[in-house]
Amino acid sequence: MASAAEIAEFLQTVRLFREVDRPALLALTARLRERRLRKGQVLFREGDQGEEMFLVRDGSILVSKAVTGKVEQVLARFGPGDFFGEMSLFDRSPRSATIQAESDAMLLTLDRQNLSDLIEMNPRAAAAFFHGLVQVFIERLRASGELVAEITRWGLEATGLDMESR
Amino acid sequence: MTDRRKEANSPSDPSGAAPPRRAKLELLVRHDDDSFEIQAVPSSAAWVQMRPMRVDTEAFELAEVPSRVRGQSSYILKNLRTERFLALSADERFLWDQMDGSTSLQEMATAYVLKYGQFNFDIIPTLIRKLQQAQLLTLEPASRLRRVLARNRQQRLLRAAELTLFALERINISSQRVQSFFGGLYRWGGFMLFTPAAAVTCALLGIVGIVAGVRLWQSTEAILSDFGHHKLVAAIAINVLLLATVALHQLVHGVALVHYRRRVREFGFTFLHGIIPTFYVDVTDIFMAPRRARVVTAVSGTLVHLVLGGIWFFVAWQTQSGFVRAFAATCGIIQFKSFLLALWPFFFIEMDGYHVLVDALGVPTLKSDALAYVGSLLRGSPPQWSREAALYVGYVALSGLSVAGFLAFFVAVVIRWTT
Repeated sequence: MASAAEIAEFLQTVRLFREVDRPALLALTARLRERRLRKGQVLFREGDQGEEMFLVRDGSILVSKAVTGKVEQVLARFGPGDFFGEMSLFDRSPRSATIQAESDAMLLTLDRQNLSDLIEMNPRAAAAFFHGLVQVFIERLRASGELVAEITRWGLEATGLDMESR
Repeated sequence: MTDRRKEANSPSDPSGAAPPRRAKLELLVRHDDDSFEIQAVPSSAAWVQMRPMRVDTEAFELAEVPSRVRGQSSYILKNLRTERFLALSADERFLWDQMDGSTSLQEMATAYVLKYGQFNFDIIPTLIRKLQQAQLLTLEPASRLRRVLARNRQQRLLRAAELTLFALERINISSQRVQSFFGGLYRWGGFMLFTPAAAVTCALLGIVGIVAGVRLWQSTEAILSDFGHHKLVAAIAINVLLLATVALHQLVHGVALVHYRRRVREFGFTFLHGIIPTFYVDVTDIFMAPRRARVVTAVSGTLVHLVLGGIWFFVAWQTQSGFVRAFAATCGIIQFKSFLLALWPFFFIEMDGYHVLVDALGVPTLKSDALAYVGSLLRGSPPQWSREAALYVGYVALSGLSVAGFLAFFVAVVIRWTT
């Protein structure tokens, strides 16, 4: 188990907490839970219910979405300092993708109640948190657009369709 | 997000410094035990597995334009629905004939190399682009059965049948990491299959099998009555054994590849056309080997049926009566029939014997060319008579006779057993 100072130091590397001051981070560390994953272990599946987000402290996490049968599309990889699962903190919808460990991994868990406490007790830190969150959302939205274009290009190349001269 | 997209060059990069990278899909394939593997599939890999299918015969017309200068004809392809015309060279016509919905671009490229002895890397994509623009390629299902099912999707039963076939067709248990497995088979005894002693043993077993089969023929009724009330059990057991034999047949093909120091690309199980359970092995690497190697590889798998048929007939011959004799005799008949079907090239089916024949003749599209030629003969508009035309007519005539003979034999057997 890492010390509060170590965890606070790690949190400063996470985009969401870069603008949060150190005392607030130290207060937050007590609310985070550690979760270890073995290589290949599934954390949660698409469609599962959830009300917590995860910060990757160590290892590599794979995000995938079902395509057909036992085949899933790899959407993203997350490494140390990345986070995921934040959507279910806000919209209470089922998980939109499956998460599994590509290597042994260590995660930190932040649930809905702890986030509410943070907002209530330290509005300034909460504002910094949400500012970071919006920035990451924008980046992910752009990346999703790129992924759609990449998949479309794959389809065109795989079928030999020549749209330019149609 | 994943950083793999950072590697991508923009496809519209005007600098032209480097060609755009082929798009790649990263897929996670889950196993039964919930473990998984990541497979990166480049678009080029999917492209070479594409099986283009030309539109129905009624939807196009092909005319030959003889050239006295070049000595080689060109062709005009007309889409009868859109009234669009397309000029095809002889090479392109050859590829057009391959586009039957069951031949992959990879197989077409192989057939092209076998026919012309070289490969033009631009010809296939250029032709596909032209055909797509002229709306001469379709994505409709290839087989007649599938076409009928597709046309009648509104009927719930046929829709269910189509979905079942589709699901079965997608069952494919295979591995591409089989070279070491086949290498092991070869080292642990497989090499003995390619010795003179094995050839002699095979011939002897074949002769013994034929002799035993002829002897047993005299008492067919008595033998079959030995099944008694176990006909269903026997039928199931015989079919399971036959499937195992097909696996053995494919394994021997793979071992033959190792013998000739070529690579076995894939081995697996699938449902052919969604109906027939079968094993398969990818032996395409043998095309890089001399003809003798190609012939031995093709024939070696087939000989499995001769050997097993011989053994079964011998067992039946040496057994006095009872279920075992009936079972062994039936297995012997099925193995010999499989041997004949696989090795005899004139049956309108493309099995090992057919591949040996077309390899020897250097005409990889013999069946489709021959059927097209005879079709034009029957319609009263045959192309000019030539040595190739004689070959086509000979192939169709021999195949027609073989099929008729096979059917006659089958009918005779049924009549003999039932009267």
